[in-house]
Amino acid sequence: MAPTPARQSQTPKWERGPPRCLPSSPKPPSPTRSGERSLTRRLTGREGVNGRSQGPEVPRRAGLPAKTAGRNCQEVPPPGGTPGCWATEVGAFGWLGVPWNKQSVAPTSCPGNLAPRPPSFLPPLLASRNPCPWHYAHVSGSHHHLAPTCLKASLHRKRSGPAPGVASRLTDRTSPAMGTYTYTSRPRALPCQRRRYRDSTMQPAEEPMHYGNIMYDRRVIRGNTYALQTGPLPGQPDPIEVQRQQQAKRRALARKRAQEQLRPRTPEPVEGRKHVDVQTEIYLEEIADRIIEVDMECQTDAFLDRPPTPLFIPAKTGKDVATQILEGELFDFDLEVKPMLEVLVGKTIEQALLEVMEEEELANLRASQHAYEELRSVELAEVQRLEEQERRHREEKERRKQQQWEVVYKHKETSQKVAARAFAQRYLADLLPSVFGSLRDGGYFYDPIERDIEIGFLPWLMNEVDKTMEYSMVGRTVLDMLIREVVEKRLSMYKHKEDQPPYVKPEDGLGGPGAMGEPLMDDEFHEQSTSQPQRPLSDRDSLQRTPSDGKYMENMSSQERKLLEGEDEQTIRKTSGRELLQPGGAFEP
Amino acid sequence: MPLPDTMFCAQQIHIPSELPDILKQFTKAAIRTQPADVLQWSAGYFSALSRGDPLPVKDRIEMPVATQKTDTGLTQGLLKVLHKQCSHKRYVELADLEQKWKNLCLPIENFRALLQLDPCEDKMEWIKFLALGCSMLGGSLNSSMKHLCEILTADPEGGPARIPFETFSYVYRYLSKMDSDIPEVDTESYLATLKDTVESRKNGMIGLSDFFVLTRKV
Repeated sequence: MAPTPARQSQTPKWERGPPRCLPSSPKPPSPTRSGERSLTRRLTGREGVNGRSQGPEVPRRAGLPAKTAGRNCQEVPPPGGTPGCWATEVGAFGWLGVPWNKQSVAPTSCPGNLAPRPPSFLPPLLASRNPCPWHYAHVSGSHHHLAPTCLKASLHRKRSGPAPGVASRLTDRTSPAMGTYTYTSRPRALPCQRRRYRDSTMQPAEEPMHYGNIMYDRRVIRGNTYALQTGPLPGQPDPIEVQRQQQAKRRALARKRAQEQLRPRTPEPVEGRKHVDVQTEIYLEEIADRIIEVDMECQTDAFLDRPPTPLFIPAKTGKDVATQILEGELFDFDLEVKPMLEVLVGKTIEQALLEVMEEEELANLRASQHAYEELRSVELAEVQRLEEQERRHREEKERRKQQQWEVVYKHKETSQKVAARAFAQRYLADLLPSVFGSLRDGGYFYDPIERDIEIGFLPWLMNEVDKTMEYSMVGRTVLDMLIREVVEKRLSMYKHKEDQPPYVKPEDGLGGPGAMGEPLMDDEFHEQSTSQPQRPLSDRDSLQRTPSDGKYMENMSSQERKLLEGEDEQTIRKTSGRELLQPGGAFEP
Repeated sequence: MPLPDTMFCAQQIHIPSELPDILKQFTKAAIRTQPADVLQWSAGYFSALSRGDPLPVKDRIEMPVATQKTDTGLTQGLLKVLHKQCSHKRYVELADLEQKWKNLCLPIENFRALLQLDPCEDKMEWIKFLALGCSMLGGSLNSSMKHLCEILTADPEGGPARIPFETFSYVYRYLSKMDSDIPEVDTESYLATLKDTVESRKNGMIGLSDFFVLTRKV
């Protein structure tokens, strides 16, 4: 705990030194960090005497411990903190850096903390041989005053830990510091004034060293200072009392921090590893007090050179130049319309010509078609007429031919007939007598009467003779039968009489009755016999007279029948039936 | 869109939409009619067009155009044009006819000469004038009748060119009367023979082939 007693011993000197600085601060610091703030302000106020270049750095330091302080510090950096004061800044840093270096040299003061700090930061700083006399004067003159402040600053800076930015700033710082009091710089982005997060507490606090001309620092009061408001207002608490309380608080805080720092720490991780907090308690509990950190990176493009601003030329108003155009100068209708007219007329004529030609062609075609049709119809009619004529001619020819053929045929036939006739005449001339002769010989020529007698009369005659003969034969037979009957009767009668008394004595059996009956019979026989010869005569006569007189024959037969009726009806009936049946029997075979 | 008063470029020139069509029809008519005096004919054309009358345009182009030096200048096509323009009325005004004659670029002397054949007052029967014109076209009576038939017929061109026999006989009598050489008896007998052939056809139309023997060029 070497630094702490040193600080304690030195702070009263500070506080006493610039007592007026506190009210002059533009904004009173927030109560939580009032201790630190007031400290730095006081430091600033004191620096107002020593070196003004410290001004831009002060609020940055003050704001570093807390994140929110970063916003506050934005308003604090003075507008005068332009890149114009490199030299002074360098001087200020040099002033800051040197006492810190001295402390590291002292073996008693915080050896563990400051050991890993690379000592290479200083050599470039020292080697730059900044010619600023103000810088050197302070470096040599007042390091024992400033040591505690620097320590504090370094502590703060350790928390902020802008390790990578420091080297570049150092190089930046050194190069313009070569040319004393001359300043040239290119437009550049403002350097990142502090880190958002602390990388680790072990990192050395390296802040860019700003050099600047103190004469341009606003905080340097030039001229009379009597007009400046000084002294505390009545009604306010005693600043010394307040300061004391703050001091006590600050001391307690610092002590705690120092204890923290003095604790043995985990050794540094090997290359490529890093430490991670691990809970080793029995129960896992959420770490609520840890700030959740998220690393974000953003790389913006390199700044381009701003193009040179073009020369501002105000917009023109009003007319500068005018051109007078007379009527018809720009547009000549006759001239302009000419191509159009040419197209119109040319196209029209061309198309009209085409159409006329086309229509003419079509009309010609149609006309010739009609003409040919007309011609064709005429020719067709002519052809029809000729065909008709031809047909008529042919018919006429056929008819004539037919006629001629007929004539020829008839002529031929006639001639043939004539020839045949002549031939026949000649051929038949001697045939006729011989034919007649042979015919006559053949009996084709006969006497009709003779033939009639032969055919008709003679058979009839024979027939009639036969009949007559038959009649006579029948009569005789009948007579024989009668006689026989009579004879038999008489014989029987005679026999009967002989048996009985002979009253009448018949002569030989036929005497008696025969005698009586004989005359009768004889008469009848006579008559019959007489009539018989008469009849054939009459028959012959009648035949002679009318050979084919059936009536006569019938009369004759009826007479004969009447004659025969009395004799034997049965026989007559037989004969008549035979006669009647004869024609039928004749027909039958 | 109303056009601005002043024109600045050729695109502002507006062509009426009917103009090209009218121009084309006119050009076609001019090409087809081949008038000797285009201006005179155009005046007649457009006046007829505006009045809605039949246009003085030939139906067909006539290649051997009358030169008006050796011949009368009158052609069958021109007569047909006149017929088309005048036939709707039975009688035509001579002044009107003269105007039409002039519009067809025909010499007015011919018109007067035609009228001297059959002098009349301010009115004339159209068919007679047509007959006179036909007689001017063809030298003989027969050829003038042929022209007349071809003008008057309703048949398509190249067809049989039939006209009613009444018209034919009327014109024939009229024309033969003009010629004092032909006795009237001959005319009547000729017409009677023609009438027989026509009546045999039963439509009362007489065709070109009935009286005019075609001499075809081979």
